[in-house]
Amino acid sequence: MPVAPERLTQSRSLGPAARVGLAWEILSTYLGVRRLMPRGPILKTVGALRASLGERPGGGRAAGPDDFWAALRLGDAVSRTLPLLPTDTRCLMRSLVLTQLLSRRDIPSTLVIGVAPGPDFKAHAWVEVDGRPALPAHRDTYSRLVEL
Amino acid sequence: MAVAGQVDRSNLNARVRVPQHVVFRVFPAETVLLNLESGLYHGLNTTGGRMLEVLEKAPTIATAITELVAEFHVEAERIEADLLTLVSALLERGLVVLEDAGRA
Repeated sequence: MPVAPERLTQSRSLGPAARVGLAWEILSTYLGVRRLMPRGPILKTVGALRASLGERPGGGRAAGPDDFWAALRLGDAVSRTLPLLPTDTRCLMRSLVLTQLLSRRDIPSTLVIGVAPGPDFKAHAWVEVDGRPALPAHRDTYSRLVEL
Repeated sequence: MAVAGQVDRSNLNARVRVPQHVVFRVFPAETVLLNLESGLYHGLNTTGGRMLEVLEKAPTIATAITELVAEFHVEAERIEADLLTLVSALLERGLVVLEDAGRA
């Protein structure tokens, strides 16, 4: 789905202080998510992460278009920030971090796991808001397996 | 409830249930299962995937055998043996649980 350029570039119009603040929030969220993750399969963390969110973000409301654009900007920030340090930049970690950030902003989201079955089996995770991916979903490659 | 690896004819009146922490989806070439507790993915070929679909909906393993015999046009003894082997493997990997038929 093409992204309206003017919507996405709004994230790049943040002032320097705001950008530093957001980067710090992303990295501290990353550390918090990593602490939740036990050694071994990381999917065990998803349930713990959801449990730690407490009451459903958004108070049960459905996400709207403004939520999606906010999520897209945050997703872009997460994707650009995590690789700056030696962090785990895999799709599931990015998805978990974004889910936490959205939850803090009261934005309902869905973590989706998709798979590409076959001899070269692959799995991928992304976050959706208002039914649209806020992180790259690569839907031409991955089919939805589960929504969390 | 049967222990993993001990599924046999004595379990024919049991019901197979996919627990909440297991998700699966049928694709054209295979069925993919994900155990959300272990984080492991598993694959079934088309026949195994179809067997799982029927098992999940059937009230008992015996009922599933009857349905699969009609669908695959194979003798019941072979279906029974293959199905019990499949259930044993799924049970061993924590992908299904066995319940007494009639339990919700």
